[in-house]
Amino acid sequence: MTVIDRTEFRESLPAASRLLPTRMSLVGLAIAAVLVVATPLVVEDDFWMTVLANAGAFAIAAIGLNILTGYAGQVSIGHAAFLTIGGYVVAYFGAERGWPLPVWLLLAALVGGAIGALVGPFALRFRGNYLVVVTLALLFLTVYVVENWESFTGGFDGASTNSAPLSIGPIDFRELSLFGKDFTREQGMFYLIWILVGATAVVARNLVRSRPGRAMQAIRDRDIAAEVAGVSNVHYKIAAFSISGAMAALGGAVYAVNLRFISPNSPIEELFISIRFVAIIIVGGLGTIHGAIVGALILGPLPELVQENIGVLDFTVPLLDKPFVGETAADGGVFTAAAFSEILFGVLLILFLMFQPTGIAGMSRKLRARLAARATRHDEARAVGEIADEGTEDPAGTTAHE
Amino acid sequence: MEKFFQLLVAGIAVGGIYAIIALGFVVVYKVSGTFNFSQGGLVLLGAFVTYQYSGPWGMPFFVALALAVVTLAGVAMVAERVVIRPMIGKPPFAMLLITIGLLVIIEQLVRSIWTEPGLVLKTPWGNDRYDIAGVTIRHADLWTMGTVTVLFAAFFVFFSRTDAGLGIRATAFDQEAAAAQGIPVSRAFSVSWAIAGAVAVVAGVMLTSRGGSALSPGLGLISLRALPAMIIGGLDSPGGAIAGGVIVGVTEIMAQGYLDNDTTGNVATIAPYVVMIIVLLWRPSGLFGTRAVERV
Amino acid sequence: MSEPAALLEVGDLNIRFGGVQALRDLSFDVKPRELLALIGPNGAGKTTVFNCLNGIYRPQTGFIRLNGEDLIGLRPSKIAGLGLARTFQNLALFSQLDVVENMMLGRHHGMRTGLLSAAIWFGRARREELKNLRRCHELAEFLDLTRYAGRPVGELPYGVQKRIELGRALASEPKLILLDEPVAGMSPAETDQMARLILDIQEDLGIAVILVEHDMHLVMDLAERVVAMSFGEVLAAGTPEDVAARESVISSYLGSA
Ligand SMILES: Nc1ncnc2c1ncn2[C@@H]1O[C@H](COP(=O)(O)OP(=O)(O)OP(=O)(O)O)[C@@H](O)[C@H]1O
Ligand SMILES: [Mg+2]
Repeated sequence: MTVIDRTEFRESLPAASRLLPTRMSLVGLAIAAVLVVATPLVVEDDFWMTVLANAGAFAIAAIGLNILTGYAGQVSIGHAAFLTIGGYVVAYFGAERGWPLPVWLLLAALVGGAIGALVGPFALRFRGNYLVVVTLALLFLTVYVVENWESFTGGFDGASTNSAPLSIGPIDFRELSLFGKDFTREQGMFYLIWILVGATAVVARNLVRSRPGRAMQAIRDRDIAAEVAGVSNVHYKIAAFSISGAMAALGGAVYAVNLRFISPNSPIEELFISIRFVAIIIVGGLGTIHGAIVGALILGPLPELVQENIGVLDFTVPLLDKPFVGETAADGGVFTAAAFSEILFGVLLILFLMFQPTGIAGMSRKLRARLAARATRHDEARAVGEIADEGTEDPAGTTAHE
Repeated sequence: MEKFFQLLVAGIAVGGIYAIIALGFVVVYKVSGTFNFSQGGLVLLGAFVTYQYSGPWGMPFFVALALAVVTLAGVAMVAERVVIRPMIGKPPFAMLLITIGLLVIIEQLVRSIWTEPGLVLKTPWGNDRYDIAGVTIRHADLWTMGTVTVLFAAFFVFFSRTDAGLGIRATAFDQEAAAAQGIPVSRAFSVSWAIAGAVAVVAGVMLTSRGGSALSPGLGLISLRALPAMIIGGLDSPGGAIAGGVIVGVTEIMAQGYLDNDTTGNVATIAPYVVMIIVLLWRPSGLFGTRAVERV
Repeated sequence: MSEPAALLEVGDLNIRFGGVQALRDLSFDVKPRELLALIGPNGAGKTTVFNCLNGIYRPQTGFIRLNGEDLIGLRPSKIAGLGLARTFQNLALFSQLDVVENMMLGRHHGMRTGLLSAAIWFGRARREELKNLRRCHELAEFLDLTRYAGRPVGELPYGVQKRIELGRALASEPKLILLDEPVAGMSPAETDQMARLILDIQEDLGIAVILVEHDMHLVMDLAERVVAMSFGEVLAAGTPEDVAARESVISSYLGSA
């Protein structure tokens, strides 16, 4: 509940300023932590371990996009560019040069942040629709550079990320050994990536609950009024693009390590990857940190879920007399698994925008409010005649977006 | 020098195609305030539907083309009715993202329906060429320029003479005011999308024909180059769309002709965007757009 | 008694939009702690004056000095930092943020937390947040807004939003505050409340005010001095009674009615 007790205020922070705004978020965090620790203990399968680790990499990048779009209000379809940049940084500095894990992680974030900062000034001159085209231009430019700057990226031949160092001090995520148990590289990557998700989420939450995040939200809601109130649009638009670029590049770096190899044909530098991230933050919930994570967990593994559950989807379509979804084009289905999951992304994006614009985070907010309302009714019924607190109405699902 | 003129003609022709697509973008933008990214998907679908009618279903080319225009206008109107119109009055970025979702869906549908590689869209002019004073000119390019001229003339008449056209202009000016004057906003939405669908077919066929007639699912992304064209021209006048289209087309073809080699790679894919950014930095409202000062 | 130096000096402002000369050789000044009313018929250029002061518009000629410092050419956010705050004719709140967050944005330029210390939170960011939150909470209490805490301001009633916007301006601890039609669309009770607040601001907090308002009763009650303008020019300046009696002022209103 977001009720602020007047007397209590001076000592404690209001919900919007806390790391974990509600009791539910504390519970959610505890459950998430248990799941992260437990999953590699339960899941042995390399394929699914990597799928879940990739979902974490997507979550890191999605948190970045949510800061840019959900908090600062700048729509981008160029996010894949920053993942790509992170990917080639780890290939060049990590795999090829053997620079240590913390260094290539930091470097990926720095390079992503710097290039994000270069886009920022454009956001000042171009808004809305125009800015979206500029971010599209950024993506195409990145692809062009990747294809042509062969000494750095390997050009069309691509570059390996496989041998990038994965250890910090005594901890080697490649062959992790904990609680007397040996873990595979896939399981180690899972831990590494989800620790990074946690760190990214804390940093993001800290940013949005204090001065910079508030400034970005002000620009999102009313840019000119924000400027007049003293918030420099230049400064915070650059900051938003920079933070979002840094987080995307960080996510892209660890994702590229999971891919083991990146080239212009890898699923990292395409427009559809950018659009997937937009779908992730819309489905998860714009303007929430946990929404980006939930969205990445649901939409990240979607292609693999479709691929591995073809049995459910390959029923024969009556009129066409073909299976509905085939694994590849050779199976002669109405859709290939890949096409079907792309279409699912598009459909989910549209459905959520139309019917649940606050995303899954908004759904759970509404649900919580309803439960709270019921609890209040119970209380009122018990204490007839007692005056209900005026503050109990919850602004459920009201976070409409500009 | 011959090479230059050859590229110039080709560039102007390609620019004309971009101008047609840009027109589709502008019409929708004027009414809804949204860049319609699904336009790229409509161009792609338009080319394949024309192929389906004229190839496998054996219709004469121009019949197939006309039928495809009707089909795509219908598809666009249905899309508008189902996913765009309910978003009127919602935050503008939502409508924009929905058109991006549509682009994904249409492109994947096209890839799923026409799976056979190497399909060819046959046109009456095929790959014929003229040779004039050493400059090779393709029939496709002449057809393109002719079509562009006719289309733009038709649109000029439509917007300045017909009720539907004037309705769109009124809506573009101010949705609320138009509604208050009894101009149905919803009809303007419908008409604008129908136009977008119709011009998409022409553009799709022309782009395919220029590119050697092989149908490619990459057409969707190529059509998005009309966005920089539109932005360069400014969103206010049809003349702007033509100028923007020609600038983008000529730059792209010249870059391809003179720069493409092992060290510079496929410059054509970025040239339109680079030109756009340069123009925007110099004139934020495009070359022919009027500058708007925001009121508070 | 010697005349105190002006807090704000505006001289010879000219600005033109296409064919419209929105301001023509406009000059006036504001003394420290003064409550000056700027009146004129619709389209006279009052909001345009504010937009020039804030740095949203850049006048083609003229000067604007706040405490002797030239404002023309500075970014609006910089000008805010020099002690100029504003409310808008049509509300311009941050609609998804709550009361306190809106006010915290008024304090933005007075705070220092950057990206790095914010990311770490512990230490400076936390300290600064706590300190400023407390100030905003006190202000919310002063403006009778505490009961609306924790809700996006976009869903609050119009009159309340107007008060929140005033709160955001006050939170910045300005030297001069620009109020663009603060009681437009308010009920008589809300108007009274707002009028009392404006007086408190000027008398108790010692902040100078420029009040743009069509409600002449309010102007007559509150203003120490009135500047009347029409078609971008100053028609008359002086005490409320003087200006109200001026032939040209009366006819400018009648002419535009
Ligand atoms: N950005 C702009 N572009 C074009 N014209 C403008 C712009 N801003 C103001 N104007 C013009 O300047 C003149 C003064 O407008 P302004 O809004 O300052 O009037 P006002 O005195 O505040 O009126 P009201 O009492 O109705 O608020 C008007 O003719 C208006 O149309
Ligand atoms: Mg005004």
